This record gives sequence, C-alpha cells and structure tokens, in this order.
Amino acid sequence: MSSDDRFDDLEAELRALAGSLDVPEPPPAERVAASVRARLEAPAPRRRRVRWRVVAVAVVALVAVTAATPQGRQAVTAILRYAGIELRLGGEAPEPVRTTASVPGEREVPAGQVAGQVAFPVRTLGALGEPERVTVGDGGRLVSMFWPDGLRFDQFSGRIEPFFFKRLGPPFPDEVDLGEVHGYWLSGEHPLGYILREGGGEVPLRQAGPTLIWQVGDVGYRLEGAPSMERAAELARSLR
Amino acid sequence: MESVTRMEDDEAIARSLDGDLSAYEVLVARYSVLAHRTAALLGARDEAEDVVQEAFVKAFRHLGSFRRGSEFRPWLLRIVANETHNLTRARGRRSDLVLRLRESVDAPAADDPEGSAVATDRRARLLEAVRALPDRERRAVICRYFLQLSEAETAEVLGWPVGTVKSRTHRGLARLREEAGHELG
Repeated sequence: MSSDDRFDDLEAELRALAGSLDVPEPPPAERVAASVRARLEAPAPRRRRVRWRVVAVAVVALVAVTAATPQGRQAVTAILRYAGIELRLGGEAPEPVRTTASVPGEREVPAGQVAGQVAFPVRTLGALGEPERVTVGDGGRLVSMFWPDGLRFDQFSGRIEPFFFKRLGPPFPDEVDLGEVHGYWLSGEHPLGYILREGGGEVPLRQAGPTLIWQVGDVGYRLEGAPSMERAAELARSLR
Repeated sequence: MESVTRMEDDEAIARSLDGDLSAYEVLVARYSVLAHRTAALLGARDEAEDVVQEAFVKAFRHLGSFRRGSEFRPWLLRIVANETHNLTRARGRRSDLVLRLRESVDAPAADDPEGSAVATDRRARLLEAVRALPDRERRAVICRYFLQLSEAETAEVLGWPVGTVKSRTHRGLARLREEAGHELG
C-alpha cells in the first residue's frame, strides 16, 4: 500500500490521526435516505419552478424545457411556450377532455364596446367579416370572437406568462409561415385549459379542434376550427 | 465479503435504474456516513449534510452514466467531492480550515500524563502541516489517509490519473516530513 517504504511510519501516523479529527456528527443514515427519497419523489414542484424561471427570461421566444426525468416516464416530455400558450408535449396522445367550461369571467359584449374593456388593441380577421358574437374574459385579458361553423378566434396579451395550456401527443406542431411572423399549427384535437392570472391555477376548458397559434408584437392569437392549415393561415394573414 | 457487497450494490443499482426508490434508499443508507465524512473533510464541514443530500439526488439522476460492474463507492464519492468543491469555491472558503483535532482527543492518561501531552502535541503539529500543504497534495493525503481510500479510488474521486495520485501523495508526504519534523517518522 505504501507509496514509498521510507514513509511507512508517517503513513501509519496519518491513518491514526484520522481517528482524532473533529468531524461533524453524521445524520442518521435512515434520515438521509428518507430525505433523498422525498426529493426524488417530488418532481412536480421542481418542474413548476423551472417553468416560471424560463418564462421570466424568454418573453417571446419559443422555448423548450425538457422535463423528462429518469425515475419515471412523465406524461409531459417537453414544454413549448409561444404566444401566451404553453404546449405540453407528451409521448402519447393525452386523455381527451369530455367536459366544457368557460374562461373565468367570460361574458358577451357588443362588438362596438370591446375596445374599451381590454388592455390591448383588439383586432379581427378581415377575411371573415363581422363575428357572430364577441366575448371578453378574465377581467379584460382575453377577447374571443365567434363565427359560424365553429370558428373561434382568441386574442390575449402574449407577454411573459401563458394564458392557455394545451396537451399534445404526436404529431407535434407544424411551423406555418404567416408572412411577417411564424405560427404553429396543431393539427389534431387536444385538451385545452386556461391558466389563471391569480395564483396560476389551471382550469380545464374543453377538447379543442385543430388550431393555429401565432403572435404579433405582444399579443397572442389562436384560431380554432379552420378546416385546414392552409385555410387557417389564409385567415390569419387577414388580421387587421 | 467484498464481492458480496459489490453484488448487492449492483442489484440495488439495477433496481434503482428501474425507478425503485426503495432500492436506492439502501444505497443511500449504506454510503451516507462515508459520504458525509468525505464532504466534511474536503471542506463542506457544517454543510456536509446538504452536500451529501444534493450528491445523492444528483447520483440518482445520473445513474444511467454509471458503468455497471464498476465500484459504486468511488463513483458516488466523486460526485460528493465535486459538490463540495463547488460549495467551497462558491463560498470563497478555505477548505483547509475544516481540518481540526477533536477537543478532548484523549484525556491525559493517569499513568503517563506527560507522554499523552507529547502525543497530542505531535498530532497537532502533523495536522497543522497537513493544513499547510498545497491544495492538491492535501486532497490526496485526505483521501488516502483520512478517508482511507485506495490509490485507484482516490484517482476516481479526485478525477486524476493514478500516477498523479501517487506523485502528489508522495510529494505531500515528503513535505509533511519536512515541515512536521523528522521525529514523526
């Protein structure tokens, strides 16, 4: 064992010295094991912390957060945030939502009075003409317009924190060229939910149809119910 | 005996890789005292408990990169050593200051108080010399003699080639003899 016979005595003395060292008392092994296990079993709050930290630094950019953990297959393997929408991508198709709920505080508003009730400039899709009805939700943070055949157009401040979340399995979103900006086309039905401003609670809304999402400046848009990606892109380009 | 322990580690690792946290708890419990002593002596001292917990969490998350069939103990201690290094660097702390003798190492033996006092004084001087070693030599000495790791384990824990462990240990010993006096050995 000795690196050099000349040091045998010194080595022995050092080994003996080890027993005289002032080392803090170790915690009981079972307690360490339990603490470690508790930390390994609590992936959810960790993921949440990551999420908000990332949101804080990536205001507009599309970000991906790998949330996969080795100790168990999480339903969500990546989170994309774009245009005020959080896309939770998983390895398989998520369970469909069978109920329908409204965005908190949603109420119908005469088209002419919308502008005074929200904090961002309200726009519409010129190619569709006047909407059948218009609603304002969540204290003026969200405006929704409805046309026949299930067409729904939402607009909301897309800054910083997401408003909606969508759970997606494959196929993942397609990037769509909308002229000056890019959007994402979600081709399948998917669960849609709403993230509350206060406290970050989540409200499952309904099973959404194919949707195009995009962002112009600080405002996020989602158009649901267009029959194809091409038609959705055409409508999106008529934003005015 | 040693090979039995290794088999048990190996099985616990295999089950941990399958997500069995009870199996991982066995590994944590088995190595927590050694991990704690390693963190404490390498500089974490009173924060050794935090370092050890963090190291075990990281080890679990990186278990996929553990080479199966090799020894778990030095692999784990390397993570502990790295965590400790990060901590002391972040705190701008001198890691040598953690090396102290216990207050009441041994009460003077009734039959030979003078001899005990001499022994205590010698230990104090030797430890002082260890603290004064250059950082790398000191870490080699701590691993080899205070943690009683083999040269190969020390190499893995400190991330050095075995030859480097040998040479740094040797230089450290030579310096200790020089500094602490010839009567040491």
